[in-house]
Amino acid sequence: MNTKTAFNAIDGERSERADRIHRLFLELGVNFATGVPCGVLKHIIANFNNDAEILHVPANRESEAIGIAAGAYLAGKTPIVYMQNSGLFAASNDIASLLIPYEMPIFFVVSYRGCEGEDAIQHLATGRATEALLQSFGLPFVIFGEHDLTILVKSMFRDMCKSKLPTVLLLRRGWQR
Amino acid sequence: MKRKEALKVIMTTINPCDAVISTTGLISREIFEEFDSERNIYAPGSMGLASSIGLGLAISFSDKNVVVIDGDASLLMNLGTIVTIGNRRPANLLHIVIDNGAYGSCSEERSMSSSAHLDKLAQNVGYRYVRMVSGQDELRRAILSFGQGPGFILAKVKLGGRRDFRRPLNLADIKSRFMLFLHQT
Repeated sequence: MNTKTAFNAIDGERSERADRIHRLFLELGVNFATGVPCGVLKHIIANFNNDAEILHVPANRESEAIGIAAGAYLAGKTPIVYMQNSGLFAASNDIASLLIPYEMPIFFVVSYRGCEGEDAIQHLATGRATEALLQSFGLPFVIFGEHDLTILVKSMFRDMCKSKLPTVLLLRRGWQR
Repeated sequence: MKRKEALKVIMTTINPCDAVISTTGLISREIFEEFDSERNIYAPGSMGLASSIGLGLAISFSDKNVVVIDGDASLLMNLGTIVTIGNRRPANLLHIVIDNGAYGSCSEERSMSSSAHLDKLAQNVGYRYVRMVSGQDELRRAILSFGQGPGFILAKVKLGGRRDFRRPLNLADIKSRFMLFLHQT
């Protein structure tokens, strides 16, 4: 564990899983993060903010985050892009026309709204279409459930380096508990 | 000044060690045809993101100057990034906007750059060096006097010009040679 890292504590609530994923990122060489916030990802984002090892460049919109991450990747960084699944739709052309043809293996952490139990109507259509969108682009993705987080993230990174494709970890509400 | 002249001034005035990111459409295609080099990255898709790519690169690689060659409509469709650039203030980023007042790579439909005062916007969001130019000598001088960035040069050009350029196709190879260039120079 990196002792310099100040892990998250939002409103007194900590997420051991978010801390674990952060330590995994550091172990896997992640040193750059960009994205657009979502409440489901708040502990992950807080850890990016509190860690001097990570160059964190928040973006105004998901497309912008994809461009920033592409630039960081070209410079030799290992970036993470975070966003809500609605952002995948807003930025789908940028994934399709920048990251895929340039073969940039960039890891996405995406909150998955609009699945079972959703209480906000604006997420329903994108919720239904999220997996189909990723499948239609041929992008590897995993919906985090009962997995061992360490084994999952490590194997996703390993596969991503082989496939040279952007790769998406989908996190549903309550994932951090 | 024509687009062709502006691009020639830029590509022959900037330092040969500078990294170049160019925007979607004729700007990238003309640079690819006339000035292709390992220092170039083209954004044939992802409209508007040349500035975001340039920001990610400049902030991650502060030893090297990064020149973004953008268009007016391209800048307007991803306006948020100039705010991020002004917020992070990378000293090694020079953002040049070729302003022909139109979607020149489409069918020259008008953009809104004439009422946008892009140079004032850049100034207001925090760029350190801002110039507006309309001639080749002026553009050359504006590039040569760029010191600490982020810099913004609004280069007014006439609409029109050649359209039948080749397209950059092998993007994975363009990426590999660029990354090699970055780490060898």
